Amino acid sequence: MNEDQGLWQVPDVSVVVIVYNDEARLTTAVRSVLEQTHRSVEVVIVDDHSTDRSYEVAQGLATRHPGRVRAFRLDENSGGCGAPRNRGIAEARGTYVLFLDSDDVLERNACRNMLEAAETTGADLVSGLCVRVHVDSRGGKEVKWYPWLYTRTRTLESVSELPDLLVFDTLSTNKCYRREFLAREGLRFPVGIHYEDLLFSAQAYAAARRITLIPNRVYDWRVVDKAAAKSISNRRAEIANFAHRMEIHRRVDRLLADRGLPELKFFKDVKFLKHDLVLHLRDLPFRDASYREEFAAIARGYLESVDRAAFAEVEPIHAICAYLLQRSDWDNLLPAVDTLTNRDKISSPLVERDGRVYWCAEHLDDGDDQERALARRVLDVTELGYHTKPVEKMFLRNVLTGYEDDERAGTVRLAGRVTNPLGVVPPGARLTGELEFGARRKGVRFQTFRFPVRTLRHEGEAIAWEASVDLARGLRPLGVVDAVWDVRLRLYVDGVRTTTRLTASEPGLAVGRSPVRPRLTRLVADHIEPEVSARGHLAFRVPTREKVDALVGRGVRGAPGRLAKAGYRKAKRVRRKFTSGPTKIRIYHEVFSRLPVKRGLVVFESHLGRQYSDSPKALYEEMRRQDLDFDAVWSYAGRPEGFPADATLVRRWSLPYLAALARAEFWVDNQSYPLKLTKRPRTTYLQTWHGSALKRMGFDEAEWKLRTRGAQQEQQRVLDRFDRFLIRSEHDVRTLARAFRLKERTLLRVGYPRNDALVAARRREEETGRRERGPLAAGLGIPDDRAVLLYAPTFRQHGGKQRRFELPFDVERFAEEFGDRYVLLVRSHYLNHVVLPPSVRGRVVDVSAHHDVTPLLALADGLITDYSSVMFDYALLGRPMFFFAYDYEEYVHEGRGTYFDLRERAPGPVVRTEEELYVALASLDEQVVKYREAREGFVAEFGEYDTGTAARSIVDQFFSQWRRA
Amino acid sequence: MTAHDSPLADSPGADGPVAAEPRRDVFFVSNSVDELGGVTTWSHQMARLFTGRGHRVHVVGITPPEVPQELGEIPYPTTTLYAGQPPRPGRAREASMREEATKLTALFRSARPGAVVIVTQVWAMEWVAQADTHGLTVIGMSHESYAYSKASSRFHRVRRYYRDVDRMLALTREDADLWIGQGMNNASYLPNPLPFMPEVPSARTEKAVVSIGRLHDQKGIDMLLDTWAEVAPRHPDWRLRIYGSGEDEEILKKQCTALGLDGSVDWMGRTSDVPGALRGGSVFALSSRGEGFPLALMEAMAMGVPCAAFDCAPGVREIVRDGEDGLLAALGNTGELARRLDTLMSDKELRDGMGERARANIQRYTTTEIVNRWEGLFGFLER
Repeated sequence: MNEDQGLWQVPDVSVVVIVYNDEARLTTAVRSVLEQTHRSVEVVIVDDHSTDRSYEVAQGLATRHPGRVRAFRLDENSGGCGAPRNRGIAEARGTYVLFLDSDDVLERNACRNMLEAAETTGADLVSGLCVRVHVDSRGGKEVKWYPWLYTRTRTLESVSELPDLLVFDTLSTNKCYRREFLAREGLRFPVGIHYEDLLFSAQAYAAARRITLIPNRVYDWRVVDKAAAKSISNRRAEIANFAHRMEIHRRVDRLLADRGLPELKFFKDVKFLKHDLVLHLRDLPFRDASYREEFAAIARGYLESVDRAAFAEVEPIHAICAYLLQRSDWDNLLPAVDTLTNRDKISSPLVERDGRVYWCAEHLDDGDDQERALARRVLDVTELGYHTKPVEKMFLRNVLTGYEDDERAGTVRLAGRVTNPLGVVPPGARLTGELEFGARRKGVRFQTFRFPVRTLRHEGEAIAWEASVDLARGLRPLGVVDAVWDVRLRLYVDGVRTTTRLTASEPGLAVGRSPVRPRLTRLVADHIEPEVSARGHLAFRVPTREKVDALVGRGVRGAPGRLAKAGYRKAKRVRRKFTSGPTKIRIYHEVFSRLPVKRGLVVFESHLGRQYSDSPKALYEEMRRQDLDFDAVWSYAGRPEGFPADATLVRRWSLPYLAALARAEFWVDNQSYPLKLTKRPRTTYLQTWHGSALKRMGFDEAEWKLRTRGAQQEQQRVLDRFDRFLIRSEHDVRTLARAFRLKERTLLRVGYPRNDALVAARRREEETGRRERGPLAAGLGIPDDRAVLLYAPTFRQHGGKQRRFELPFDVERFAEEFGDRYVLLVRSHYLNHVVLPPSVRGRVVDVSAHHDVTPLLALADGLITDYSSVMFDYALLGRPMFFFAYDYEEYVHEGRGTYFDLRERAPGPVVRTEEELYVALASLDEQVVKYREAREGFVAEFGEYDTGTAARSIVDQFFSQWRRA
Repeated sequence: MTAHDSPLADSPGADGPVAAEPRRDVFFVSNSVDELGGVTTWSHQMARLFTGRGHRVHVVGITPPEVPQELGEIPYPTTTLYAGQPPRPGRAREASMREEATKLTALFRSARPGAVVIVTQVWAMEWVAQADTHGLTVIGMSHESYAYSKASSRFHRVRRYYRDVDRMLALTREDADLWIGQGMNNASYLPNPLPFMPEVPSARTEKAVVSIGRLHDQKGIDMLLDTWAEVAPRHPDWRLRIYGSGEDEEILKKQCTALGLDGSVDWMGRTSDVPGALRGGSVFALSSRGEGFPLALMEAMAMGVPCAAFDCAPGVREIVRDGEDGLLAALGNTGELARRLDTLMSDKELRDGMGERARANIQRYTTTEIVNRWEGLFGFLER
């Protein structure tokens, strides 16, 4: 297009470019507009009275691009972005207006995409994706700005349809405004206050009659990371900034109230607690008392206006911090901020009150009922499950209380206090400890250095410690490459280790220097000094001498450095490759599988090595009972604890594991050995499987059906490895065997070895007329006069990584109503886990960690489940069963579907609500009688081959040759 | 306003009488001028429509087809660059590409200002990219769903060769958004036009479910049979008529026998009379693993036959408004598809209502509508 044309026509878009003392980058910004794929665009440059040559540059651009670029200059500097942008709005002629800062750039298609969206939908406002480009990062790091708002094109009639937009994307620059809309609503930026974008964007969102979001990248926000770190003199400005931020928040709140959008204020409050406040709180431990007070005064003022209900919508630690800040409880707030920064850290002693666990003992009884209720709601951390963790799984706060260095002697004396939550470290415990120094950089962690902790004792609610560390002699860094050393205190409680970091954020606490002798000699460095990491933890730095640093810098960037680095990386690559999955599979096939099959070698596995349980365990134990002459190998994933001591234990996927599988005469497992491993013809695979099916399985599932023919054949090859597949009833034949497309000759109609014990228990009970409780009952502390109920729901997939399983009923209420008659055992699926409050202790017990469910079934006088296959096994006991199918429709229809309608065939009441469940649970005896026939029918249909002889029968058929004479 | 509306319907300046669209030179560049397939059908349909609007159309193919398609009389010129297959990738291919690209350049240079090049397949773009397109508007198209493209080598080639075209077009907004998510900031979309609009719809009196498509893995006839095995016992008087032929015919017939469905399934073979096939049915089933903007669905709806379909592509949920003019089931969930079919087969009134709404709703893809959108796009890209 001829540039002159622009002079006579109304351009589609005006881009307002503001500049202040940025002569170097202005041209780049303007060029990004002139080079837009959409041509009908003009540039309006507004200079905020720069003191450099910015205005001359702007005028030059205007001269070179007449009709497309115009330049304006404010009469005096405004100190912000508001005034120049307002001037730009006034000067713009385009149908639409965009804002661009002189240090940023527009994506080439930005105008075309925003215009197309605006013209298609008629929106007043179009917003696109902004990307933060870290210009001085090595790899050109890019971070998308709230990308979840911009995953797809969508049009909102009002911002209240997507509160997150107003709450999170507060930029004014990634947006395209209909100019007539700005005029109609009189939209202008506030002047004389920071954070003008927040108010302007909120105004625009609230006023827009239609908003279209597009997933296109439109704006590059160019971030310079190497800006000088904030110095102390900036602290004043920091407080002022914070005050500005709070003032803007207040104005936005007023705007929302005026516009009749109070529900948005709520979302904004939630975000304030989760993000805005957190940003500032994290700095608090590093600041002095006067800063903290000033900050708190400003924050408290604003917190008053935050809806109390918002506290319930954020993570507990967010709410706790806000609450303690409001109460000016510094003693509890600073530890809480430590947890805010280090999420898995337990930084408060905690307190148990009335069966719940609270962050601190203070405030629980403050003020009137309402205040008390708020405090208890906010400070309640029961759900976090701290009280269920053993000490070795805890990451405890360890605050440094003393730091003294003797430069001449080269020693540092340290003292601190380790939090002891809920007295997890008992008063009589044997305590030892050591301080461990390790290089922070992973590749150079050749050696760690340990120093004993001299004293360790209980002191109030904490463990106090003291140590003296001889850095000069005891710590020998290499030098140059390992400049930073992290410190950890390893505390042993009766021999059990828990590792802590030393929190030293208090300003002025850890200062000084000690001599040190690097192995590369003192020519590279001669002293070590403490520093504090961004997370507040004590570390030490060995500053490399400047000359050496320069020399090394040159070397590293030069040819020798490149060579050394390349060699190192290559070595690492080789190592990685050797230990990679594909290599191991090759070793399995090309090396191990060439060795002869070893007679009598049996490899067992249960649930991919996660457990020692189920039919493989029952079969293994039967083989031991009969004293067969064979070599047993058990596979474990994770840790070997709980696996049998009289078998060879191999870690799943390790080389010994693969060697054992390649040479085994038998494979026994209940789920699947690694898919890629070919089974040798001489190896017999006994697939015990792990339960009859209610849910559709295998090729009856959508996910399997969808696969291409090739992928289905691949899957079939995996299934065809099974030489024998255990069957409990003809139902299994119709469902599992068909779904896995198994051949008739593989089916072994003997029942499940794991269920032999259940059949035996029932017989014993019928013969003696008594139900025996084994040692498990005593181990779980179950009194004789209580009946045992087992709650065993099936696995539930929740979005994301969240593995917490919310119980569908109130355990506290259960304990209240039934605690004097029943003990409830809760066993969640091994992929889910539950947290029980202390209030139900002794009445509701979490048994999820038990590998094997069979003893639990045998113990339970009644079973509560939903769709889990334990129903088929438990039925063998002939005891009452309850089906708590609170989400039946969702589970059956939205999920993968079932083989039969549970509601028609269940051998017990199918209930939908907690109320119904409690009514049904009221009388076990009644249920025993009422559903007797139904249970018998259920067993006949789904467990006809479970006659208590499965393990023996399998031994007879496959292992009888190993009987000792 | 919905996503189905024209992107430029609300253009400012629409207050006065709309100026007549300028007459343009339009080039279609495809792998072949006349290879058998949907893209060929589509490009010649569009070429005829543009010609009808007074544009000067030229259809260009890179190579002669392996399996040709009968085009009939065509009112515009066509050109095929290579006489045979191009050399295998390598230096010889590159040299030949430069040579053939000069032919393209010559064609493009002879065009009047405002000319448009529509590249219908990304392979053809490799030649166009080497030609001089200065002053022309270049549009690159992906005639399949994003997911289907992603699973093939075309995914990387689309991102490479369409990166700098003036507009890359997918078939639906949803597909375009996914391409944008991959950094294709020039992506937008335009749906396919309805192939035909029959005067007389199906009477929907025959108790038959119809399926039309190649007997190939992609069309998921194996899943349709699994589905039918669940529905058929409940409707012994209904038949499933499967039109189409292909490499999987034998396996599928075996599966049909194994499922005991021989008594209710008719293997109809390939048909050239799609309206006729649809007239013989009251419900249409689409069981594909993947699709783009399936013509078969549009044809069925144009015939007033309500559809039950796997929700296998954005194009499918774009065409069928679930619950209003057809029913969708989660991809691969045969139990659900069976329930959808059962719903339509059990309720004549529902079937008629949905069929009529389908016929009405599908009008939004009439040729007039789609050609207007194309002309609007040409104008927009010039601004």
